[in-house]
Amino acid sequence: MILSVSVVKNHLRYKRFLLLSGIFTLLLFSQISFGQSAEAETNFAVCKACHTIGGGQLVGPDLQGITERRDEAWIIKFVQNSQALIEAGDAVAIQVFEENSKIPMPPNNLTDDQVRDILLYIENGGKVAASEVVEVETEETVASQETVQAETPAEAVSGRKDMRNMQITFVVLLILMLISLFDLFVTKILKEKWIHYIIILTALYIGGEVLFVEATSLGRQQYYQPDQPVWFSHKVHAGQNQIDCMYCHFTADKSMHAGIPPVAVCMNCHNQVKSGKITGESEIAKVTEAYANKKPIEWIKVHNVPDHVYFNHAQHVEVGKVDCEECHGAVEEMDEIVQVEDLSMGWCIDCHRTKEVQFANNKFYEQYTRMHEKLISGEKVKVTVADMGGEDCQRCHY
Amino acid sequence: MEKKYWQSIEEYKEQKKGTDVQKDPLPEFSVEGLDESEIKGKSSRRDFLKMLGFSVSAVALVSSCQTPVRKAIPFLTQPEELVPGIPNFYASTFFDGNDYCSILVKTRENRPIKIEGNDMSPLSRGGTSARVQASVLNLYDDARLKNPYKDGAETDWATIDKEVKEQLEALGLSGRKVVLITSTVISPTTKKLINEFTAKYPNVEWVTYDTISYEAIRKAHELNFGKAVIPDYNFEKAKVVVGFNADYMGTWLDPVSFTKQFSKNRKILKGNTEMSRLYQYESRLSLTGSNTDYRYGIKPSDEATVLLNLYNEIAKATGMSTYNVNSSPVDISKAALDLLENKGSSLVVSGTNNLNIQLIVNAINNALENYGTTLCIGNPINLKQGNESAMAQVVSEMNNGKVDGLLLYNVNPVYDYYNAKSFAEGLKKVGFTLSFADTKDETAELCQYIAPDHNYLESWNDAEPVKGELSIVQPAIRPIFNTRQFQDSLMKWTGISGDFSDYLENNWKGILGEDGFASAWNNVKHNGVYSLPKEDMQESPVFNEQKLSAAAGGDGLELVLYEKIAMGTGKYANNPWLLEMPDPITTATWDNYVCVPVKYAEQEGLKHEDVVKINGELELPVLVQPGQPDGTISIALGYGRTAAGKAGNDVGKNVFYLMNVSNGYADVAGAEVTLEKVAGKTYELALTQMHHTMEGRPIARETTLQEYIKNPYSGNEEHLKDEKNNVTLYTKVDYDGIQWGMTIDLTSCTGCGNCIIACQAENNVPVIGKDQVRRRRIMHWMRIDRYFSDNIDNPKVYHMPVMCQHCDNAPCENVCPVAATNHSDEGLNQMAYNRCIGTRYCINNCPYKVRRFNWYEFVNNNNFDYNMNSELGKLVLNPDVIVRQRGVVEKCSLCVQRLQAKKLEAKRENRPLRDGEVQTACSQSCPTDAIQFGNLKDEKSVVVSNNKEERMYHLMEQLHTLPSTSYLTKIVNKEA
Repeated sequence: MILSVSVVKNHLRYKRFLLLSGIFTLLLFSQISFGQSAEAETNFAVCKACHTIGGGQLVGPDLQGITERRDEAWIIKFVQNSQALIEAGDAVAIQVFEENSKIPMPPNNLTDDQVRDILLYIENGGKVAASEVVEVETEETVASQETVQAETPAEAVSGRKDMRNMQITFVVLLILMLISLFDLFVTKILKEKWIHYIIILTALYIGGEVLFVEATSLGRQQYYQPDQPVWFSHKVHAGQNQIDCMYCHFTADKSMHAGIPPVAVCMNCHNQVKSGKITGESEIAKVTEAYANKKPIEWIKVHNVPDHVYFNHAQHVEVGKVDCEECHGAVEEMDEIVQVEDLSMGWCIDCHRTKEVQFANNKFYEQYTRMHEKLISGEKVKVTVADMGGEDCQRCHY
Repeated sequence: MEKKYWQSIEEYKEQKKGTDVQKDPLPEFSVEGLDESEIKGKSSRRDFLKMLGFSVSAVALVSSCQTPVRKAIPFLTQPEELVPGIPNFYASTFFDGNDYCSILVKTRENRPIKIEGNDMSPLSRGGTSARVQASVLNLYDDARLKNPYKDGAETDWATIDKEVKEQLEALGLSGRKVVLITSTVISPTTKKLINEFTAKYPNVEWVTYDTISYEAIRKAHELNFGKAVIPDYNFEKAKVVVGFNADYMGTWLDPVSFTKQFSKNRKILKGNTEMSRLYQYESRLSLTGSNTDYRYGIKPSDEATVLLNLYNEIAKATGMSTYNVNSSPVDISKAALDLLENKGSSLVVSGTNNLNIQLIVNAINNALENYGTTLCIGNPINLKQGNESAMAQVVSEMNNGKVDGLLLYNVNPVYDYYNAKSFAEGLKKVGFTLSFADTKDETAELCQYIAPDHNYLESWNDAEPVKGELSIVQPAIRPIFNTRQFQDSLMKWTGISGDFSDYLENNWKGILGEDGFASAWNNVKHNGVYSLPKEDMQESPVFNEQKLSAAAGGDGLELVLYEKIAMGTGKYANNPWLLEMPDPITTATWDNYVCVPVKYAEQEGLKHEDVVKINGELELPVLVQPGQPDGTISIALGYGRTAAGKAGNDVGKNVFYLMNVSNGYADVAGAEVTLEKVAGKTYELALTQMHHTMEGRPIARETTLQEYIKNPYSGNEEHLKDEKNNVTLYTKVDYDGIQWGMTIDLTSCTGCGNCIIACQAENNVPVIGKDQVRRRRIMHWMRIDRYFSDNIDNPKVYHMPVMCQHCDNAPCENVCPVAATNHSDEGLNQMAYNRCIGTRYCINNCPYKVRRFNWYEFVNNNNFDYNMNSELGKLVLNPDVIVRQRGVVEKCSLCVQRLQAKKLEAKRENRPLRDGEVQTACSQSCPTDAIQFGNLKDEKSVVVSNNKEERMYHLMEQLHTLPSTSYLTKIVNKEA
């Protein structure tokens, strides 16, 4: 029975692996077809979301002839961090900001030279200078492959790989054990019986461990990464465009649910932004269509806890000041969201035992007089969640 | 000397025999009613193999399943006020034609899940009743109509509108009579609308019909004061209340407000020793009678005699003329003395719908100068406006073919009219009949059209229960089905454009004024209540004396019909919560029965569960009831519905036809009946009474006010002894910051059972059905133990709420083999359901018997076909509390989800907890504030100050369980 479980699970993982590798290959190809050009073209992909070269106004102004209109040093500063410039009171920056309906241009992690490259690319009318193409090509291919690898965090990939290895180990050991049992009682080829015993005992031990690990992960969904109805990339939104988590998940500090953003929130930007740099228009069209047809998007929930667990985002985000990444991993590096942690009770409790509560900063904790005394007397150095009852059953199960 | 308490007649007899402690307590688990195989526990090798094969394949199947795909579907545009995971509260009003209560509706993700009292109401003051608490479940009743009906088939509203308009116009042109029968309407706006409707169709006559009529009170006041009103009673100002068959704590008129009022005068806390005194003369053991200081059992036919004797006593003392009357069968001199001593601050009420009796009551109150203080005619109560003679007239006209159209709103006379047969026959002779009922009830079934009304939680309306005290009804959810509010239907047919919410708003412009209306209107919707500026209440009503008389009482067996706390008049007969709520007096669930006096039962050889025939036709089981006065029997109304829904159909028997009708007034009490035993026939009743025997220990403690003043520890001497004896080697657990605790004042608790339903609604407690209740498996997290003591013919009654005591030294925790129950840092005795393996050791080791075991899966199980087996019914579940699966133990968690929520709120607002902000479901809804909840580590909290009272004790503290819950001795204002 247990064997059948692992086989089925293995089969599932295999399917998932196939699917993922399929996606990787696809992405690889799409990247390569763009990646034939210089770095500037890749970098400009970010800009293309809002700007055209000679194609007219999009969200931001048409960039054709930008180098003639503005001073290069100013452009570099503005591209790297437009808001800083505006806040500094730069008259031109403010004017540009206001002319473009006060939609801020997100900051970019580009060096001065990279910006200059992009400017050259723009001057060239959106074509890579022929001389540069060959030079950059090899480097770029590598880079794009790296990006593909990063699509799913390295940890997730290696985690999955570990599990596959364990399955193979399990099957191999099982076969070994059966062979030695067969030899022990039927064929009797090997006369040294201790070899059989060692093989059987080792197989039992390791097999047992594999079973234990597999059994504990039953019902858990670590590295779960379902296909979403819209190919939405957190990497683009949270990573490249640096949109704050709480802009979309705006109830995370108020409610138990972080909240999947309503389509109207998407439309705040996608009223204007109609074309994505990876998927083009097809995916964004799904969002605008959903809005127009008044049909909400049916996202697939990635992070699930069992019914008997009560988890409250507000308690962790607002009160405990826990960063989103601590549980959800490097979301800004994921295209489609993957569950990085196993969300097991052990994982929760581990954090509760080490995490400090906002003991001094929140007046709620004033009533814990004895703990305050202990802190003053030096008996306690820090107050963890567990000190405040974070290990009690009925903090999470009721 | 500690009293000897007894819970059942059997136990009383045991004590009489001299066996103090019951030697053979009834087992917690009983084998009666089990299958043979279950008793023997037989299972063959084959069974074992079957089970093995099944479980192996089941495990393989389950574990090989793919992770279920869960979807998260956000809003298209999220409304600003709605955050998933955060409840919203809407102020509204519960009024079902009988009871009034100002409420807050708790909604989660836009669906109402709980009703709470509205603190801002000057009437109900945050209290609720069991029926109010349970009313949220009616919203999710499968029996509700999903569409309008015509001739028994579903139709649409356009057809209804077209045909009804045609019918009304045609009948109007030919001048044929149409009658609109409604329950009492206390909404000024709806009244205005009905008047517009009857103005448009002048052939429509509007008749108000109450299931239980209070017309005699109105008529008596018309004769005495020239105003046909029910005065506003003020129990708070009354130092002495003498009640005659008026169950003002349970079901009479406006019990929530009255309970809030009288209980304010009975708080012996913080050195206060002033306490009102309550007398009750009654013909059955009512909730009120079980809580009054003095109680006398009388026959219904003797009530006038007793009252007139009381009047004579008072008249003598005040120098007025007296009447000739037989001497009273019970003592009235004590009550008369107390009333005279408290002239102007006393109150005499009677719940009997008999003009003669109400005239005597008025005369007594007038002689005591209570009008203007405890009774107010200027600001009368608007409840119960039924007109019995008009109703009787309509029924006779229907039968004579004089009525050609009938519209029925919120009434079900085919079920609950005393002359239902005649009504049903008349109904068949009416050409055009329409019911606004929201279910296909007995009356709607016979109607040509059904235009289903919204549930009250989907409706707009207003209410004026007491003159000048307005409150608002606003929807907390969009209509679930294709129903339409009664008022909207009337507007359509009258030809008024817009919908009723506009109409209501327009009408309120007249109340609030046009200037700044928007903000004032928002304020009304926020508060839920609005008081009109008080007119000058310096009333000096002129009293027109009426001749009083009292006929001699009869000798026959007199029947008393009554409303149960849960079931009322049967309107909510399909509500499984209410069906399974134990009656506070009999502790019976799921049935009605004949309560017979103990002596009478002995004479006639009647035993508990014997079946008897009333008047030779109606078979009902017997429940031998201590305190049932000689010569009377009582039966609950509200049962025996045939078209209520799957839970409520054919539960008990309908007894409305046994009402006592004399001189045009239908009264619940006084009909003479015969009773005969049906030989050899029994009927099982599901009582929750026998399975919590406390074996004669001082559980519910009591003293009198006099004794208490002399010695505050009186009645509670044991506590001092136990405190001294309770020594331990271990250090006492000391909590830091928070230790949750509860105090229950037995002086205040009336046992109304409102907390049981509040708890059930809050904590997703399942309904398990009569059979399981009989097997002593009721799932309620809290119960109200009822003890009797002293005289079995007129016993003292004690009500004692018992839930998990959250012991610091909990016996249950030590025996759990998997540590599924353990102690939290905040003093909670926690129960981790997902860890429980169901050994039930904890249940056996709990001295309070408050733990419950899930013998079955109560969700999605066709054998328990109640709200948790219905997709609609499950919408009432509280999403913050898990639904427990089969095989685990559950119990009171002190509403841990509420504690956590309020702590989070305080943390988010960067402040310490405030006393009183954290409330459990039971403490919040308590109409007498008997249950108090708070932090025992907060020196300023109410619970700490209550625990400092000398009256404080813990339940069975001699066991050294160190509970966090404490009780305060019951004080009775009685002279020894």
